[in-house]
Amino acid sequence: MSRTIDRSMVGEEFDHTEFPRITEAQILAYAASYGETDPRYTDPAAAARGPDGGLIAPPTFAVSLRGRHFMPRELPRNIGRNGFDAGKDIEIGVPIRPGDVLTASSTVHDIYEKTGRSGTMTFIVFRTTVTNQRGETAAVVDQKMMFR
Amino acid sequence: MSALSFDAVDVGDELPQLELTLSGEQVRGYAQAADMPGGRFMSDEAAKAEGLPGQIVPGNLSVALFSRLFTGWSAGVRLKRISATFRALVRPNVPLRISAVVTEKHASDHGNFLECDLVLENAEGERLVTGTASVELPG
Repeated sequence: MSRTIDRSMVGEEFDHTEFPRITEAQILAYAASYGETDPRYTDPAAAARGPDGGLIAPPTFAVSLRGRHFMPRELPRNIGRNGFDAGKDIEIGVPIRPGDVLTASSTVHDIYEKTGRSGTMTFIVFRTTVTNQRGETAAVVDQKMMFR
Repeated sequence: MSALSFDAVDVGDELPQLELTLSGEQVRGYAQAADMPGGRFMSDEAAKAEGLPGQIVPGNLSVALFSRLFTGWSAGVRLKRISATFRALVRPNVPLRISAVVTEKHASDHGNFLECDLVLENAEGERLVTGTASVELPG
């Protein structure tokens, strides 16, 4: 069945969250949770002697920053709310360090349809830009959600 | 671990593979650390209530495992960008093989960069997650 794609919300910010100050414990817990071993992310003393001058967050840490709203309150008509994570794109910016105060701004970046063997699927790309207290971009995360 | 020289890397080089089997507990641990409270990541029972065959691995964990290929490969390597397409469900308690191959290398005033293709597959060779990465090598 063909659906009508309402692209009017493309570009609209649906979440803006300032997170509590990032802690060393938070970074270490995230790194340990997937078996990371690089001392830049796991060993504060060794990291202090390294090129970053201290512990930094692993490259995918930004995905652990969960804003207040995972997706817009009002999705286009005919799209359910039970989507599946279809893909991820993470552009890594300046390192995230303990003590940083990060802000995430999430927008609807794209909406499109694809028709395959299993029928028509709607894809929505949510873009989250994470900046630190100096206004530097720490990460841009595109999350592609698929709705059948 | 020593730092690889950019000149020592060629297009077609394969990074050391990562072979592992995630336990349900490890998946829960990641979901908690990554603030992903969805029941589908927590237990078979909760996942089945959502119509899934059982507990599943968050896509973000697959991406994090891709990133481990690089941090375990060469000292000082910096991931600049990583992308993944989730093609099929990844389940705990299933042997996984994660691999990367260098597809392009380019140097500029901004640094020495490699482009890589990424694959996470099961023991049958089914590609569950595919992706790409851009990394910078020091010096």
